[in-house]
Amino acid sequence: MHELSIAMSIADAAEEEAAKHAGSRVCAVHLRLGKLSGVVKDALLFSWDASCDGTSLTGARLVVEEVGGADLELSGLEIEDA
Amino acid sequence: MTATTRIVEIRRNVLKANDAIARELRERFERACVCVVSMVSSPGSGKTAFLEKTLTMLRLRGLRVAALVGDLATDNDAARLARSGALVKQIVTGTTCHLDALMVRKALEDWPLDELDFLFIENVGNLVCPASYDLGERARIVLLSVTEGEDKPLKYPSIFKSADLAVITKMDLAEAVEFDADAALRGIDTVRPGMEIRMVSAKRGDNMASFADWVEKLGSARSAG
Repeated sequence: MHELSIAMSIADAAEEEAAKHAGSRVCAVHLRLGKLSGVVKDALLFSWDASCDGTSLTGARLVVEEVGGADLELSGLEIEDA
Repeated sequence: MTATTRIVEIRRNVLKANDAIARELRERFERACVCVVSMVSSPGSGKTAFLEKTLTMLRLRGLRVAALVGDLATDNDAARLARSGALVKQIVTGTTCHLDALMVRKALEDWPLDELDFLFIENVGNLVCPASYDLGERARIVLLSVTEGEDKPLKYPSIFKSADLAVITKMDLAEAVEFDADAALRGIDTVRPGMEIRMVSAKRGDNMASFADWVEKLGSARSAG
């Protein structure tokens, strides 16, 4: 059960990407989750809110698309321009 | 004014963060000519006793050895391993169930790697999570004790698949617990066909020399390459 630390890595990466779009708010973080990555989707979703708490991502949803392969890829950010 | 939503496309691999640090560690180990071996197993399988004996034996062969040891709490294992005379450091992980490459890098910050021949990394006792984390090691050893049940390899295939050598420990207790060696060997061969195996007793010394030979060979293979 290392999904919490993975969720935190995703949140870190998403925050870095979001910083490139200053002034906007992140509504959702899109993720491609490889079936062979060894990462469990439900555990990841369960850890997500705690990982975002207190960051600029607070309230953002995690949208997981399950794909083949072993990668775990941050694939997009849904952002709301002010 | 209404707020508009848009999607920004990104392609960024998240799991690769650990891999990048592991790669950097591996290069550092190469440069320093130190052969790094990590050990994984469930809690209580005899990693520390096995490692203590290994460190002592390699030191007697004139090799310069050191160990990093991971646990959620206490430095008990480091204290035990230090009895071998080797350089030892404890990594206390807090609540984390595995070591990752960043923890290893931090622990090694002030270490004179080029004064070492072998570095052992004893992972947190856990047969699940450590499988996913490359620590930059040259080889990974998975330990299974005779008291655990012969079907461990079949129940935890990922960790066995991620390892290069399987060591069956506590062979001195095999008879008392009616250990079925054939079943254990079959299980290992099912998840990782052709995997090398050593059946040892750190307490009695069975096959410890054979294991030390394996480690030495691994070290020389590396420096030749």
